[in-house]
Amino acid sequence: MSTSSPSPTQAPRALRHRRSVRRLSKGQLADLREATAAAQAIGDDRGYQYWAGIHGLPLPISCTHHTELFLPWHRAYLYLFEKALQERVSGMTLPWWNWTADHAGGIPEAYARRRAGGRKNPLFDSPIQPSGRPNPRQTRTVRAPGAPGFLPSADEVEAILRNRDFTTFQTQLESIHDGVHVWVGGTMANIASAAYDPLFWAHHCMIDRLWYLWQLRHPGAGVPARLLDRALAPFPLTVRDTIDVTRLGYDYAASTAAAKGPGHG
Amino acid sequence: MVERFTSKPLELPAADRPFQRADLIFHGLDHSGASFEGQVFLDARGVGRDADASHRAYVGSFFVFGHGGCFGDVGHCDIPAERDPFDLRPPHQLEPAVRILTVTGAVKRLLEREAGAAKVTVIARTAGREPANVLAFEKVRLTTYA
Repeated sequence: MSTSSPSPTQAPRALRHRRSVRRLSKGQLADLREATAAAQAIGDDRGYQYWAGIHGLPLPISCTHHTELFLPWHRAYLYLFEKALQERVSGMTLPWWNWTADHAGGIPEAYARRRAGGRKNPLFDSPIQPSGRPNPRQTRTVRAPGAPGFLPSADEVEAILRNRDFTTFQTQLESIHDGVHVWVGGTMANIASAAYDPLFWAHHCMIDRLWYLWQLRHPGAGVPARLLDRALAPFPLTVRDTIDVTRLGYDYAASTAAAKGPGHG
Repeated sequence: MVERFTSKPLELPAADRPFQRADLIFHGLDHSGASFEGQVFLDARGVGRDADASHRAYVGSFFVFGHGGCFGDVGHCDIPAERDPFDLRPPHQLEPAVRILTVTGAVKRLLEREAGAAKVTVIARTAGREPANVLAFEKVRLTTYA
């Protein structure tokens, strides 16, 4: 197995596709909402609060920002959170928010609507457990988005994808990532609370997707070998485990279509 | 912590040292406080507090996702001065960050004007867009790549 890039030719049978949130079908969006709402209703270590709390408060703050493990750690985090959601709704996947497109639209409608289907939209906001609140009075997530023009452009992302060195690529991608956190504002604007906002996961899927695209574009480049056996605490994974997304059961195919073959009868 | 900073002049590459890419590299950035945008200006005479991305000397921004303060007891967010070489634990959460801003076109334009050096100015703006005292870093370096 390559340690530098995804290997779609070795994809497992049940490979799932993470899709743009703006291109979800009604059924896919309903599955995402159902899984999120179900996780938000669970108070133990299968639930939303547990997973959001790993990133920031309550202490310890386990996420790795501004380090060499930024991309691998968050890939592991998304993978395990998605697994927890799939236990609620089988087959669902996390979507990605392409913040380089449709700037005028700002936050995607799927996350911006207070209500959906006659019920409260679980993607609009989330409770924050008492031990997860940077501010004790902040019981639910909030947003204060900036002007749409301040979101990253496709040209900025393209310039970053052209980097051939992983460390430089990761450092520049993290800066853009940080900028989107600043842009969304509110709960998303600091490390301690960001993951409680349901939008956090779509933002990080976009970051993970850009790493995936970089891997496809630079198959000879990769994560430095000295990092491959580093643990991604508190997860039972090393950096090496995160290199190939198809081994984690997903990819970011731009589009997919399938038809039955003649069979073997 | 400051809301703006202007460096001493950084020497620009000599005319006989062609390059494909130029990066401003900010070392030792603090990320313990509020998240912010660091707006960067090169050779910026007369950049005031209200300068923004429309200013002629603006060359781009870097961003820092901050911790938003310390949520532990006294000393929780103090970075240890020394680290045992056999310490296999992850580094302290607040080990300083690095940011790399590619400024190739801006440096080439300065060279066309026969500039020999340029100061780097950074203005830090938090989510409310107002300059804020959240900026601290150890060093800024201009590196070019052939």
